[in-house]
Amino acid sequence: MRKRQNRIYNRVLHEIENEAQIHPRYADLQNQLALLCMFRGETKRAEDHFLEALRLNPKYRDAILNLGLLYIGTKRLKEAEEIFLSELRRHPKDSFLHHVLGILYIRTGRKAEAVARIHKAVQQHSYYRDYYRTRGVWRRGLVHLDRKTERSLKKIRLDQHYAQFHNFIGLYLAQRGKPAQAVKELRKAAELKPDEFTFHANLGTVYYYQGLYPKAILEFKKALEIDPLYGMGYANLSYVYGLLSRTQEALRFMKKAVQLNPKYADLHYNLALLYSDRKRYKQATLELKKALRINRSYLLARINLGVLYEDQKRWNEARREYRKILKITPDDEHIRKRLEKIS
Amino acid sequence: MLKEDFVIQSNIRRMLIRTDVDYSRMDFGTVKGVVYVRGIFQLSRFFSAGDEEKTKEFTVNTLYSLEKKIRNIPGVTDVIFQFVNWRKEKGQWIPVEMKGKEKEDEEEAESNL
Repeated sequence: MRKRQNRIYNRVLHEIENEAQIHPRYADLQNQLALLCMFRGETKRAEDHFLEALRLNPKYRDAILNLGLLYIGTKRLKEAEEIFLSELRRHPKDSFLHHVLGILYIRTGRKAEAVARIHKAVQQHSYYRDYYRTRGVWRRGLVHLDRKTERSLKKIRLDQHYAQFHNFIGLYLAQRGKPAQAVKELRKAAELKPDEFTFHANLGTVYYYQGLYPKAILEFKKALEIDPLYGMGYANLSYVYGLLSRTQEALRFMKKAVQLNPKYADLHYNLALLYSDRKRYKQATLELKKALRINRSYLLARINLGVLYEDQKRWNEARREYRKILKITPDDEHIRKRLEKIS
Repeated sequence: MLKEDFVIQSNIRRMLIRTDVDYSRMDFGTVKGVVYVRGIFQLSRFFSAGDEEKTKEFTVNTLYSLEKKIRNIPGVTDVIFQFVNWRKEKGQWIPVEMKGKEKEDEEEAESNL
């Protein structure tokens, strides 16, 4: 089993190396190469690739965090601290950053700072509350660090970057039409970092690829439990319910997706389709207009708007929209015929 | 029975992510069973590397297959392709030279990755 896995990872490494040669400006490829090197224990090479990813895209958060974890793993704690503190300035409510710094401070004997960080991590996310409670660190609303708990926390492996490694291998396999293997990798990722909504969202997406819709729904819902503001999670749920022809649920989730992502024209478009299918023309028209306000050149929204006006016998408005469309795509026979019919 | 447009749209979305197409550069929509697919047609980067002639042949085959798959979705009555870089003429898919602005956009998108 292990041998087979290594064969897969080596093959992926080889392919990503080739891709990185073809696309030397892709920071994500450098980050992926670094993760693969890390997994093989080639830390120097991994560091070089993370640094290259950050040179290409200095705001690449995954690469920043991975580099920090690499430094912790190789006991370059000062450099790691700088990275996580700098990230914390940008994301002060990120429970994971507080957790990592807490562990880092325990390892460097800075107990008071460790207590403060762990307290913050627990406050920010229920996952860390349970995490520290089961280890006897969080009791009655306070962080308790004694010799025993300190010793056990010192031994904790900060291997969330391995979670990211499995996540990326999972996505890679999914994109190459190997969903069953992809699911295995993504499950490993979710086990290593259960509070990461992306892993559940990705699992949901792979199940969606496979046509395993109930499983996809379950994973998208898990992702949304972790991050209820994950708007695309609601959109994905809506698409899955659409595939199941359960349009009432699809409508409910798409509304929520739009509410969370009001500037995403495509979501307004999809919501308009759901309304239009239910002959709720007024709401459909409104959504299409919103889509067009966000993206004036959204031709598809204009086509639907024209047809919607036609359905409501609002001939002038329908003609106006069709003429606008034909100015942009004069070869569109479908629209030309519709315009001729109502002219 | 007329299939709902949103159901068709969901089917197209799922079908597209299962193909070798870089669907991030494409728009698609459904109007009363008529499916529109617009934008830049490109294979995903995993399939576009290598020999130019082979890539072209593979792209043409992918286009035919895409059309067939969309037409097979229940409720689809017609498919209209409006790609800026590929056009279907007399049943044959032929590449179209992209204009300056479109090419610039493409290069910019690539450098943002």
